[in-house]
Amino acid sequence: MANKAFGVITSAAGHFHVEGLHDYRPIGAFSFLGRYRVIDFPISNMSNSGIDQIQVYVSSRPRSIAEHIGTGRHYNINSKRGKIQLLFSQINNPQSIYNNNVTSFLENYEIIERMSLPYVVVAPSYMVYKQDYQKLLDDHVESGADVTLLYHRVNDARDTCLSCNVLNLNKQKGVLSITPNMGTANEKNIFMDTYVMSKELFLDLIRQAKALSSVCTLSDIVSLKAEDLDVRGVAHRGTFATITSFNDYYCANLGLLDRDRADDLFRSNWPIYTRTTNACPTKYFDTAEVRKSMIANGCLIEGEVENSIIGRDVRIRKGAVVKNSIILAYTEIGEGVRIENTIVDKWARVNRVKEIVGRPDHPDYIRRGDTV
Amino acid sequence: MSSNMLAMILAGGRGSRLHELTNRVAKPAVGYGGKYKIVDFPLSNCANSGIDVVGVLTQYESVQLNSYVAAGTRWGLDTKDSGVFVLTPREKADAGLDVYRGTADAISQNIDFIDTYDPEYLLVLSGDHIYKMNYAKMLDFHKEHNADATIAVIGVPMKEASRFGIMNTDGKGRIVEFEEKPKKPKSNLASMGIYIFNWKLMRKMLLKDMKDPKSSHDFGKDFIPVMLNEGRTLCAWEFKGYWKDVGTIDSLWEANMDLLDDKNELNLNDPTWRIYTEDAAVLPQYIGPEAKIKRAYITQGVEVEGSVSNSVLFTNARVCSGAKVIDSVLMPGVTVEEGATVTRALVADGVRIGKGATVGKKNSENILLVAEDVKGKED
Repeated sequence: MANKAFGVITSAAGHFHVEGLHDYRPIGAFSFLGRYRVIDFPISNMSNSGIDQIQVYVSSRPRSIAEHIGTGRHYNINSKRGKIQLLFSQINNPQSIYNNNVTSFLENYEIIERMSLPYVVVAPSYMVYKQDYQKLLDDHVESGADVTLLYHRVNDARDTCLSCNVLNLNKQKGVLSITPNMGTANEKNIFMDTYVMSKELFLDLIRQAKALSSVCTLSDIVSLKAEDLDVRGVAHRGTFATITSFNDYYCANLGLLDRDRADDLFRSNWPIYTRTTNACPTKYFDTAEVRKSMIANGCLIEGEVENSIIGRDVRIRKGAVVKNSIILAYTEIGEGVRIENTIVDKWARVNRVKEIVGRPDHPDYIRRGDTV
Repeated sequence: MSSNMLAMILAGGRGSRLHELTNRVAKPAVGYGGKYKIVDFPLSNCANSGIDVVGVLTQYESVQLNSYVAAGTRWGLDTKDSGVFVLTPREKADAGLDVYRGTADAISQNIDFIDTYDPEYLLVLSGDHIYKMNYAKMLDFHKEHNADATIAVIGVPMKEASRFGIMNTDGKGRIVEFEEKPKKPKSNLASMGIYIFNWKLMRKMLLKDMKDPKSSHDFGKDFIPVMLNEGRTLCAWEFKGYWKDVGTIDSLWEANMDLLDDKNELNLNDPTWRIYTEDAAVLPQYIGPEAKIKRAYITQGVEVEGSVSNSVLFTNARVCSGAKVIDSVLMPGVTVEEGATVTRALVADGVRIGKGATVGKKNSENILLVAEDVKGKED
């Protein structure tokens, strides 16, 4: 059954900044678990929920995301009836205060107006979770609410999700306001930047936000209208991760080495689609020692790997040790090199420096394409 | 058609020497190298050589094979004029339904299909070989030599030459004699079962061959000898590189094991010559905290909690804790449960080896094919 909603996938607002990685691509294009990109999760959620009209908003450095999504064929979306549109914004500075989702919606206002479906599901390209949007839409319609917002109750908000928003709810799960997580308490309802509403209300809110201020975001306007509108919070259960800071990205990846967390996110009836690179299987040599890790295809492993994520086509040479680290695609870790608590970005080669050891609470970062 | 050459893959054989592996699937659809199917090799070679129309000739179990190859997208054979077609024996207006009587007959019965593309050259391939080859280079050679037909050959050790069809050449590439499995071979150039023909001439000769009651309609036995007798220009193009026939369980196992050899010439990760296949929406491979892996070729979707040595593991294979997999090939979806041991075996798709079970033996003469679930000690 086709879903009655179209999908909108937003890019991260200017106040989200992931050190290092973010200089090269938008968060949606970050590599995840060695095989995916973060944006595969919202698109697969939509595809699996029967949403086949999807708008992806890209605000800066569009190359990697445009290349990855391509025709969208790999997301199992009907190529005739369905479509994935990449909508670009002219704000090229990701840190600009004008870089917010309302600005990008306004730039594409007519395209949203032309969508023929009556509802919209808005989801972020910078969070990882599994959610059936068909069920969320059904519940939204049944409840009679104007806006449904998805949140996740966390118990470590002092240290994580620090740039995210929080839903302040009344006892009936009505949303009173949306405010930034200032890390004041551990128990918080982190807003997953996921909305369900009618297309008409969506367009109306965009217009109202514009009238109010050029820096007003979708969550700002929903928060301001929370008194007049029926805005409802729905709790998300299961694995949830934000990719909105360097530490969060690191923890989100390594956290999925926990089998229960991974099994919850990846189910055979809810595939996470991605684009294949046609890499061959991974070869483990005589000298390889690998424990508690996720390894993508195309690797040549001669060294030791523990509690790490290894991306596609990575080479780990003899005597190298990789621990508690994320090694992105096409990198080479040379003979005898020791890497701990570090993220090594794509195409890097570590040969000369024999030891790169970051702190567990503050991992090191090797830049894309660097030779060290 | 951009290259003026159309390819036909002979995939008709039942592959009965592969036993239960081909009970449900045709031989070209049998798995190889962790994530591939045998037919991915000729199809990817075609795609990488700029050939965009490929016919796959088969008589058995074609539904599954058909749906697999029909999605030409997988190999990039999806531009406007390209495509992959499964061609099974069909009933025609002027002839009854007939099985393919031989390799040459399989082509003869599809003359109408080939005519719709009106190619200048026809490339005939075998569907059960593992190799990477640029057919465009072979075509260049064929054109340079003004040949009527060109046969790809590979040098084999002289003492093994009597197992192959051997080409004797005049030293300039022209074939003067063809001997099928000669007792005293005069050369070590073995036919790889890869041919390029000038289509116009071939078409004429096929029509003649179809009517010849004495012909068994086979390329090696009938068609090539007739061409030689007629004094046609047949040339041998020597291929250098990895090439393996995977017609038996032992050779299929061996070809998989070759991937573990550090000196192996078959580089499957060459970015300029990738082998394309169906992509599975599965997790990367997960290696557990207690796992031990030495010399292994493992693909995405695999979970290893136990120990694996000298083995090839296909998509979604699982090795549970305490289980051991030694010198073996686990096809897609195989589960080796807690404490079970698999040695020198090729385990077929989806088979479950129960808890504590032991299959296969070290130093066994042949590789054990496990095609059915094996009960565990507690079952």
